[in-house]
Amino acid sequence: MNSAWFVFIGFAAALLFVGLYALLTMRNVIKLLIGVEVIGKSVTLVLLATGFVKNNILLAQSLVITVIVVEVSLIATALALVINIARHTKSLDVRKLAKLKG
Amino acid sequence: MWGQILLLIAVVVFSAFAVLAKDLIKSAISLAVASLFLGLLFFQMRAPYAGVFEISVVAGLITVLFMLVIALTKTGGDVRESKLATLGFPLFFVVFAVIDLIVMKGLLAKLPALAGPAESGTFGDVLWKQRTFDLVGQLGVILAGVFAVLALFRKRDNKDE
Repeated sequence: MNSAWFVFIGFAAALLFVGLYALLTMRNVIKLLIGVEVIGKSVTLVLLATGFVKNNILLAQSLVITVIVVEVSLIATALALVINIARHTKSLDVRKLAKLKG
Repeated sequence: MWGQILLLIAVVVFSAFAVLAKDLIKSAISLAVASLFLGLLFFQMRAPYAGVFEISVVAGLITVLFMLVIALTKTGGDVRESKLATLGFPLFFVVFAVIDLIVMKGLLAKLPALAGPAESGTFGDVLWKQRTFDLVGQLGVILAGVFAVLALFRKRDNKDE
């Protein structure tokens, strides 16, 4: 693997850190989903960078498209859940969901 | 390479702003800009199909979905994020970057290199002939998402009340 790959992976790790930081520290449910989106970007970057460096860009592209489709499906479902949460709790604060604890 | 590094820096900066911004609309727009830069990077890496998908679907469709939900809920601004989380981000990020620089190269060098034959043909050949089964899976995922959204917005029957 050449040095370009390490640069790409380094930036992908930074994106992963940003997404995980959002998931661990933010309270707004929409912010948590934005964190999930950022982690998704990190994954697509790793896939494409590896394909780019190893001259397998076509396969990497098709994998990236698969990841994007899954991501859209996930976000659509999660946002529908967020709307229902906002209707029930009148808030988007994730701490209020602790009421669901049995 | 420097152009790609600039694009990567822009992606990380806008993603961080999307996470840290107080206003949700600004967060969603910042996320879309980050996706736009990532799409441009994909074009630079000779991956036009992935770039088109990234820009049209992630920067376009998902941003519209976020905007729609922010407009529908409106209560998002009431949630107060922890100040410590916002102010502590640069410190944590620098610590992470230093650890990453020290550890990552050694860890990645231990990964076995996967041998693969050189590619031939077009993107269409790879997508439709090599990965046919995955496309069926993708259809399944899309259908699952559609049915999940339908189930979540199902109208309550009068009999249930």
